[in-house]
Amino acid sequence: MGPARSLSRVKKQRTTLTLPSDSFTKAKNIARARGVNLSTVISEALSEGLRQHEATERSEEVLNAYKKAFSGFTEVERALLDGIVLERAPRR
Amino acid sequence: MIDPASGPFLFDTSAESWLERSEDSEFSRWMRVYLSHHFIHISAITVLERVRGYSSVWQRSAGQKRHLVESARTQYLGALGRVWPLDGAVAIVGGEIMAMLPHPPTPPRRAHRLTESRQERLARWRFDGMIAATALVARMPLIHNNAADFEAVRSAIERSPGRFPSLGPLELIRCASLA
Repeated sequence: MGPARSLSRVKKQRTTLTLPSDSFTKAKNIARARGVNLSTVISEALSEGLRQHEATERSEEVLNAYKKAFSGFTEVERALLDGIVLERAPRR
Repeated sequence: MIDPASGPFLFDTSAESWLERSEDSEFSRWMRVYLSHHFIHISAITVLERVRGYSSVWQRSAGQKRHLVESARTQYLGALGRVWPLDGAVAIVGGEIMAMLPHPPTPPRRAHRLTESRQERLARWRFDGMIAATALVARMPLIHNNAADFEAVRSAIERSPGRFPSLGPLELIRCASLA
């Protein structure tokens, strides 16, 4: 199923947007070339922008969590967290 | 440089933490781009090693340090991406690897006056074999920070492709070559 078709199934809301005129012109050209309406092109672009925004947010969340997960440990403790158990060698 | 968008990749236990600890901004950037496209894929063995590590540090600590360890553990487990299970397919491939390479290719680790016991080294080697098996079954390149061990596994698989029908080769990516 293509994006245009999947978009046609979701609940819609009418609104008024103010767009930069060059973006508006490019979107109209794309719509004409693809044989779809302007709303479809703008909806798809907005969906992609939102997806990227969410991905960036998720990326920051994971990196922050990892920073906290591996901070404040000594070298030996860090080795332990990586599965390497270092202990005092037994005396011979 | 490895294109982060070309993933997903399976991260070995030490690779996962190395990338976070790296001071190099290029690696941080690489991770940001990778995470905006893919989850961090790890083996259940990595979760086992990590939780054992947190718990061991917790047991050796007291007071405020215990809170820090518990908080770090919670952060780690809350951020888990895709965890690959140790299922039948991984067990079969892991068993083949362990039979071909029963002994670790490098000696136990040492640091200052501390050393890794032979028993611990063997356990870690077997865990590495299972992580390599997971990468093969998941058909994902393995990002690692342990060339000696994983190169030995890769070579053994290449020498005996008949033991790994329709799997392999084991594709390895060193942490340092990512960014």
